[in-house]
Amino acid sequence: MPSATLPSLHDTRRGSLSCVGLGMTLGSHLTPLARSHIEQADVVFAALSDAIAEEWLKRMHPDVRSLQPNYAEGKPRIKTYREWVALMMAELRAGKRVCGVFYGHPGIFAWSPHKVIEQARAEGYEAHMEPGISAEDCLYADLGIDPGTYGCQHFEASQLMYWERRIDPAGYLVLWQVGIIGNRSVGRFDIGPAYRALLVERLGQDYPSDHEVIIYRGATLPIEHPCIQRITLRELADVPLTAEETVVLPPAVTLQPNRAMLDRLQALDAKGREATAA
Amino acid sequence: MSDTIKLLETIGSDASLRYASPDELKGVLKQAQASVELTMAVTTGDCATLRVELKLQGVPHMPQTQVPGHDDEEETDVPQPERPQPTPAPSPSSAKRGSSR
Repeated sequence: MPSATLPSLHDTRRGSLSCVGLGMTLGSHLTPLARSHIEQADVVFAALSDAIAEEWLKRMHPDVRSLQPNYAEGKPRIKTYREWVALMMAELRAGKRVCGVFYGHPGIFAWSPHKVIEQARAEGYEAHMEPGISAEDCLYADLGIDPGTYGCQHFEASQLMYWERRIDPAGYLVLWQVGIIGNRSVGRFDIGPAYRALLVERLGQDYPSDHEVIIYRGATLPIEHPCIQRITLRELADVPLTAEETVVLPPAVTLQPNRAMLDRLQALDAKGREATAA
Repeated sequence: MSDTIKLLETIGSDASLRYASPDELKGVLKQAQASVELTMAVTTGDCATLRVELKLQGVPHMPQTQVPGHDDEEETDVPQPERPQPTPAPSPSSAKRGSSR
């Protein structure tokens, strides 16, 4: 019987790029394909939330370059992310197989993986994104939420303040980056509480002040458990929050039937029955 | 002493270990000759000791999300419109000229 082992194919003519997700929990979430991208790369760049996860990644490849040092206190995050793109593109243009490894899913709340793939493709390089298990995925599992039951809206928290957005309180609302709302750079938390008070005021337009709010943080190390805290909306303004926590508001109102559409559906059904009978 | 990173990877990928109670896990770690720091982290639920063991206590965590702030628009090409500015009330003279936008 022939062997099931196949040799890997490498296009050695020019560089290629992959952006992969490490998942949320060390050892638990890395997909076989993402691991293969890491192992087959010439150089690996890492943007991970935890230095211990980065140590784990270093066991998979001898040339792992942390992107963490590009962050600096008071430095706009966008500058950091542009530098990440430039670092990856430089190695790609040098003909290397480049792998960018990102925390969770590389395409969710992550600007630079999308950007570097777009730029690489524009310059004619092969570029892929491999999905990873995201914080959102873990949130559904740990909180027992099915987004299909009532629907689920996701917003980066400041979106609700800068833009006219319509919240549907009949579904779940998930807010990201509440802990760093109003802070454009790493390490500055001076205006956050005042911004958060305004966010609570905005949410108060759609939810009562005693509505339940869930503060969630997934496990990043396999000896940890998810952190789940339940408070009221009015308490959200003052509770300590970091960038690692996600805020979830369960539905506040029951689903209302769409009478007009139901009537039209009924009419269609009746028409179908008549046609069948004829 | 066992390799702590390797042990973490094993715990993370083993269904019986990932959700084991701290007492069960401590027993397994003792057999595996795990470090005092790893065992302590399992006992207390505080991973600070692990960072000391791995010499990572000074390394900052990255933000969980990696998106530019909304005040960065002057430097970003994030596909969204610029942060809206409050519209000033039109003065009588500007009202005569009509909107400048």
